[in-house]
Amino acid sequence: MSDTLIRHEPVSDVPFVADGVRISLAPPMQRHALRARNAEDLERLLKVKLPRNIGASEGGIMCLGPDEWYLRSEAGAAIPKGEGLHLAVTNVSERSICLVIEGPRASEILMAGCPLDLDQFAVGRATRTIYETVEIIILREAEDRFHVEVWRSFSAWLWTAMTTAARH
Amino acid sequence: MILIHCPYCDEKRPEIEFANAGQAHIARPLDPAGQSDADWEAYLFIRANPRGRHHERWRHVHGCGRFFNAVRDTVTDKFETTYKAGEPRR
Repeated sequence: MSDTLIRHEPVSDVPFVADGVRISLAPPMQRHALRARNAEDLERLLKVKLPRNIGASEGGIMCLGPDEWYLRSEAGAAIPKGEGLHLAVTNVSERSICLVIEGPRASEILMAGCPLDLDQFAVGRATRTIYETVEIIILREAEDRFHVEVWRSFSAWLWTAMTTAARH
Repeated sequence: MILIHCPYCDEKRPEIEFANAGQAHIARPLDPAGQSDADWEAYLFIRANPRGRHHERWRHVHGCGRFFNAVRDTVTDKFETTYKAGEPRR
């Protein structure tokens, strides 16, 4: 049944283009919140190597905290649940959407509302932070391309804030 | 904007990512049933309110999400040091 439902996105699926920046909605994907005291337990379950430093990302997995990772994968990818193990793998796919900010002014648009110094933010780094008052996760995909994960209910506001910043 | 050093992220981050969580190093009574009303009052409500050096709990809520302890001067708002939860008082 559910696959016949039509997706309704909280922001426009038409990219916003302004001078030096393009803001668009990323295609739907799977998201999992991973929690474990011992990273080895998760590595054994998922059969991948986890980034150990907070702020690092590797193979679609970001390390957000000392015991917290965030896994993004293609829609439909099978992720083991790890029943009975001392860890938590929680599907949070529909909790957030991802905005792609790209272009030479991308970091400038983000820094309009985010207090981090993104000029010092290396490619591949990911972190949870804040934009104005909205909590976001920033991943620097390339020198001029960022992924911004934001909770669905905040995304319409964030879209307006970022497109307004981009217009100036 | 004040930059606060998060001992878990091991870097200085802007203060709006953090939340204050009150006085640090307040241990929950090991024997709750044996506490008098006055003991409970002291544990729950009575807090130091120093002018100057103060031990506080902070949480990097819009970051790694962890609680840690900090020594802050309540007059100048300057952070003297921060350290992980569970480490001895500095």
